[in-house]
Amino acid sequence: MSRRSTRTVRVRISAALVAATVLAVLLVPPLVQLDQQAVDLSSKLLSPSWSHPFGTDDLGRDLFLRCVYGLRVSLLVGAAAALTATVIGTAIGAIAGALGGRADRALMRLVDTFSSVPHLLLGIFIVAMFRPGVWPVIVSVALTHWLSTARIVRAEVLSLRARPYIDAAISGGASRWRVAVRHLLPAVLPQAALAAVLMVPHAMWHESALSFLGLGLPTHLASLGNLIQGARGSLLAGQWWPTLFPGLFIIVPTLAIAGLAGAWRERINPRRRSELML
Amino acid sequence: MLELQAITAGYDRKAPVVRDVTLSVAPGESVGLLGPSGCGKSTLARVAALLHRPDAGTLLLDGDPVRRWRHRAPCAQRTAIGVVFQQPRLSADPRLRLTDLIAEPLRATGRRDEVRERVAELAPSVGLTPDLLDRRPHEVSDGQLQRACLARALLLRPRWLICDEMTAMLDASTTAALVAAVEEYRSATGAGLLAVGHDQVLLGRWCDRTVSWEKLTSTEAGE
Amino acid sequence: MTAPVLSVRGLSVRFLMPSGRRIAAVTDAHFDVAAGECLALVGESGCGKSVLASALLGLLPANAQAAGGAYLGDVDLLAADERTLARTVRGRLIGLIPQSPAAHLTPVRTVRSQLEETVVALTGTRGRAAVRQAAEAAAERAAFPAGHLDHHPHELSGGLAQRAATALALIGNAPLLLADEPTTGLDRDLVHHTVDELRRQVDVGRRALLVITHDLAAAERIADRMAVMYAGRIVEISDATAFFGLPGPRHPYSRGLLGALPERDFIPIPGMPPELGDLPDGCAFAPRCERATPTCTTLPAAAAGLVCHHPHVTEDLRA
Repeated sequence: MSRRSTRTVRVRISAALVAATVLAVLLVPPLVQLDQQAVDLSSKLLSPSWSHPFGTDDLGRDLFLRCVYGLRVSLLVGAAAALTATVIGTAIGAIAGALGGRADRALMRLVDTFSSVPHLLLGIFIVAMFRPGVWPVIVSVALTHWLSTARIVRAEVLSLRARPYIDAAISGGASRWRVAVRHLLPAVLPQAALAAVLMVPHAMWHESALSFLGLGLPTHLASLGNLIQGARGSLLAGQWWPTLFPGLFIIVPTLAIAGLAGAWRERINPRRRSELML
Repeated sequence: MLELQAITAGYDRKAPVVRDVTLSVAPGESVGLLGPSGCGKSTLARVAALLHRPDAGTLLLDGDPVRRWRHRAPCAQRTAIGVVFQQPRLSADPRLRLTDLIAEPLRATGRRDEVRERVAELAPSVGLTPDLLDRRPHEVSDGQLQRACLARALLLRPRWLICDEMTAMLDASTTAALVAAVEEYRSATGAGLLAVGHDQVLLGRWCDRTVSWEKLTSTEAGE
Repeated sequence: MTAPVLSVRGLSVRFLMPSGRRIAAVTDAHFDVAAGECLALVGESGCGKSVLASALLGLLPANAQAAGGAYLGDVDLLAADERTLARTVRGRLIGLIPQSPAAHLTPVRTVRSQLEETVVALTGTRGRAAVRQAAEAAAERAAFPAGHLDHHPHELSGGLAQRAATALALIGNAPLLLADEPTTGLDRDLVHHTVDELRRQVDVGRRALLVITHDLAAAERIADRMAVMYAGRIVEISDATAFFGLPGPRHPYSRGLLGALPERDFIPIPGMPPELGDLPDGCAFAPRCERATPTCTTLPAAAAGLVCHHPHVTEDLRA
């Protein structure tokens, strides 16, 4: 009972934090009529106070606003990258599983090849081929994150393909396309959707890592990685707030999303449903 | 005729589970194939249903040799054979309501407009009541689900029926009901039947003739 | 007659579903099983017989409520806490013979090591030689050949796996053996074999055996008495010889079930069993029963192991 209730509390806290995150990135920019880019050198590097709850950065910009805008950018980039990666992974996994044979072996070797390179390194290599911008980051994160989804979906499709209900569908005259679209895909979609949500935090971390290394989003864009990167100098001078608050803005929402996705995973696991043992 | 000629099949070419088996079913005839579990009789049933490509041998369906299997087989050949498997839970797509489960072959062959009429006609013949048709597989019993699987197999009016251990998981009354539904369909349409099972009493009572797996394979000398 | 080993009195199990529905899986079950006797509990799948077995073992899921009593010696199985059930009941008072022995055995360990582990856990035997000897004795009691003791479960035939599982169930020397669908999916020869092995434990070991099955042929081969369950209720308890021979079953449902066998009339009972969440008032079998009259909308009183207003009695059977 107590284990169950701590889990419920954890899920509720995660849900509240995710809701707060979404509300903040949606509502703060239109409600607060201040320019997050407004430079005010007279108030640079102020420590947190009532007028600037997170303090200001080295150009006198309000850090709370910068963080909210940064979170918005990071969330969008993370979600776009996770979605792209899931689409790629599901397509490749489903094709490999459904076709089998030589196509399966070739696609799985491709997955192995991608996996053998450390994916941050691969990500850096991909962004380095383009001019800095939002799309290269999304592409880089997506191209390094579809592997596990492809493996999960392939395994699922392989196990489903051997089920008699697929045989029954074939015997009933269903084409290969119909079997894939009507019987295989709907069965793997919940898994794929879950993988996508679980990937959002990971993608956000990657975006931040790339930006921190100066390879990610253009520096004028307030992404969380850029904010931390820009604050390195101040940290050495003892000004902690330009690093701490963007850092918290990465950690807290990503943990909350992961927490919610974890609870969802437990729910869609059919074995946990208490069904009659009749 | 449904003729299996010198069929060798399995999942590993070096160790086929079916070796050089010949068996035929005449139109309107019911043949029981009797064998212990794990002997390979289900694999033979899958070959006969065009669901498993044999390593060697020929399958003649109404005189025409079958050259392609599974998705690649011509739709008309595939749908000439209705199949019912042993485990209804695994044979039903868990997301479909029983109506849709039964109607799937009509939808797959682009004959949507007949769905309502055919399902309404078939459901009572296999003993399914209208309230059950709206449920999903996890909301019905094994016996009820197997009735739906039989209805699905009969939907396209196949000329041949293959029942692979159709009643092995079911109680006596449901077994008798399903067999009666199959026989009613056969007497109305003249379809042939290959019933695979391990229960001699059941197959003896159900089929015109039963052949034992040992007899089919004993011509083959070997270990 | 000796005192029963297991005595079930008014056992009921209700499931509370998330939707708020209550499902009456078992209703007011009464029966006894004595030492040296086999009672077969038969019925269609979904009639509640497996739930009854789970209730006896204390293995009901969290949304189930059990009422009534089930007495095994001086232990009330329904009132006992998990600690008592784990330490004194399962294995020691009730030996469970599983549905699929192959799944019941640990695949990565030899039969010997599993037997020895159970010997240590249940009998307190200590010392390597003593444990080894006890495990071999247990194997012998279930007619498991000593030469196969060092095999892994996947190397055993279905029959030997069944004997290995039986050997495990016998180690605790439990007075009651509970076999839940021990023959499902087995070939007829293996069914006979399994059932004969179990029967031997009853005759030689003077144990009480409760067999839960939908296989009437297996029940006929093993049982002294038959209990027939329909829609959660035990509708008939009869002597097995009378049930399968003359005069035959007394309850119309039992009669229909027996008549559906391919070796008899091979005629199904019309209709399907009712939903356990939506049982009719009165006799649950009435809608399918050719003998039903308006009286059947009231629940018949249990008399002489029979719950029916219009049972088949000897005079009906002059044919």
